[in-house]
Amino acid sequence: MSFDFNLIAESLPLMLMGIGITLKLLVISGALGFILAVCLLLMRISGRWYLNFPAQVYIYVFRGTPILVQIFIIYYGLPQFEGVRDSILWPILREPTGCAILALTLNTGAYVSEILRGGVLGVGKGLLEAGSALGLSARQKFIYITAPIATRLALPAYSNDVISLLKSTALASTITIADMTGIARTIVADTYAPYEIFISLAIIYMIFTFGLQKLFGVIERYLGRYTRREG
Amino acid sequence: MKLTTLRNLAIGLSTVLTFGTAGGASAETLRVGMECTYAPFNYKTADGDLAGYDVDVASGVARIIGAELEFVCQEWDGMIPALLANKFDLIIASMSITDKRMEKIDFSGPYRFSTGRMLGAKSKEMNLFDDAGNPIPENFNGLRVGLERATTYSSWFEDILPGADVVLYDGSEPLYLDLQNGRVDLIMTNPMKAHLKFLSKEDGAGFEFKGPTVDEVKYFGIGVGIGMRQGEDELKGRLNVALKELINSGELETYALKIFPFKLHKDEWGQ
Amino acid sequence: MDVLTGWWDDYFWGALVVGKVFICSLGLMIIFGLLGAMAKLSNSRMAQNIAGAYTVIFRGTPEILVILLMYFGSAIALTAIAQIFNPDIKFVDVPPFWAGTIAISIIVGSYATETFRGAFLGVNPGSIEAARALGMSNLETFIYVRVPEMWRLALPPFGNHMLSLIKDTALISIIGLNETMFVAKQAITVTGKPFTMYIVVGAIYLGFSTVVTLFVMGVEKYGERTTVGAK
Repeated sequence: MSFDFNLIAESLPLMLMGIGITLKLLVISGALGFILAVCLLLMRISGRWYLNFPAQVYIYVFRGTPILVQIFIIYYGLPQFEGVRDSILWPILREPTGCAILALTLNTGAYVSEILRGGVLGVGKGLLEAGSALGLSARQKFIYITAPIATRLALPAYSNDVISLLKSTALASTITIADMTGIARTIVADTYAPYEIFISLAIIYMIFTFGLQKLFGVIERYLGRYTRREG
Repeated sequence: MKLTTLRNLAIGLSTVLTFGTAGGASAETLRVGMECTYAPFNYKTADGDLAGYDVDVASGVARIIGAELEFVCQEWDGMIPALLANKFDLIIASMSITDKRMEKIDFSGPYRFSTGRMLGAKSKEMNLFDDAGNPIPENFNGLRVGLERATTYSSWFEDILPGADVVLYDGSEPLYLDLQNGRVDLIMTNPMKAHLKFLSKEDGAGFEFKGPTVDEVKYFGIGVGIGMRQGEDELKGRLNVALKELINSGELETYALKIFPFKLHKDEWGQ
Repeated sequence: MDVLTGWWDDYFWGALVVGKVFICSLGLMIIFGLLGAMAKLSNSRMAQNIAGAYTVIFRGTPEILVILLMYFGSAIALTAIAQIFNPDIKFVDVPPFWAGTIAISIIVGSYATETFRGAFLGVNPGSIEAARALGMSNLETFIYVRVPEMWRLALPPFGNHMLSLIKDTALISIIGLNETMFVAKQAITVTGKPFTMYIVVGAIYLGFSTVVTLFVMGVEKYGERTTVGAK
């Protein structure tokens, strides 16, 4: 079986054109998802059952179903209803990119909120007690004590989730989006050479992942700069 | 616990090897690849059975050459790579016989017409073709076109209207769904299916054909045929004999009449 | 809802396929994970490097890509290997069930490698010393001390790996596996109701996730039964 390197050389630039879209999906979904996650987190730790319970149900549903199903329900399923097509959301839902961002945001929001919650639970009680002793209000304690420490604790798990998000963007190709995977599948369909194209694509994603891991490593070191023992 | 998994692994490996050592396309069992989601040509009914024109052709041919059939469902854009990777032996999935495809695989004689036609909303005025039947590129500006990946329709569009705003889909059903909900303004697909499954139903009431039927041989070939790996001349010969018999005996026509009020092939293909 | 009549049994069989994939991939995933963890913990540089490459490759590549590659590539690779042994073999094919199952086992196995490695490292050194003091052999130490402590440590993240396996099964529909997503696609061809069909798929997967989560909770309770003062 021959390995057609020429084909790879020709296809790489085409696939890399999809990087813009992949990045767009990653960054926007990541940012919106983070905001959603913080909201869910606040609902979960609020102590009020009418906030806690809906948040728990939401997280349970979105972590318990495959992201592909979520994408398909939003992209193919929602337009089944006339009401959706006439609503103000339609301009977003009409675009496959809009649907993909929506699905990825809703999904990552659920996962990240649990990760943040893990971080919050990891904050030493002693620190919070010290805050109370200093006369800080609950809100102040959260902003100045819990949040910074929880962020640092949650970072490793969060970086894993961001990498997962990157890999999930590849699923956008199933709803007609021409991201790197979408372009690759079109090339494979035209050239009938799945091996060469998909392996090259896999290498591109691996490089991306490597870059993200390095980036998070830098962030982790920066945030933990006061916790390392000197000498 | 470990023992169960080892046993699973052993069963898995032996199954794989047993299936594998069956060798190439024998007269015993032929595996046929099709989309399984392309009504009315190859699809699954609610009872779980495969039905459609392609399925009937496959069964008829197999009966005549005395082979057993095994159907394998495959997403359209992976159809040829899957054939080349030995996932199945034949493609009977309404695949048109084009030069481009003939570079990689071989085809039997044709068993159905292959044409394309565009569909759009009645409410939208579209003057896409001139009187000679040639498309007017400027009039496609601002229109979003939905096409299925790796089809004759997408090849035609790529060559004839490279500037068009094209969105590529993995299957044909999503094309109709997105046309209905306005994500795309225009789709190009099989006109027979379009008429039967869409335009004549209430979902398609607001839509119509935009432009004439396109059947340039360069893109649509002489028709759809049975695809197989190159070098299987003996099998090709037997398949062609079987197809001719189906045409001449009128059986092919009965398959078509099950779905449409007309036959889907040319009688001269039986010569 | 009547649009679903006739499709319930197809969904049932599809769900059965999801179950089968889960059982098979669970076993393989444990094997891959354990092998990888032991390689990383071993003294051999080569084993560590291979295991390192394994985790980097499969944690950095989108699942859908691995599945597609396994589907198209496995036949070619296996045929080449088989022909070394028996030149008469024309081809060795891997059906979508196994291509997909092996693919997701390898992927989640790479995460499991890290989980098992962390769990083995987390075993209390004091317990190991005690075992040595009692004169236990390496094998006895492994079976009676390391493994019992290790699986309890690994359980929470392992539960997540099991959930990943279930959800990744949806992706195998892309290569033609007749599980619930594929049933939905066929049903939509006939009924034209994507929302309904995909919601059913979501519900089925949610059901599986719930069962797995409850099972893990049950096992956690079992693991804690001899622990005094568990928090």
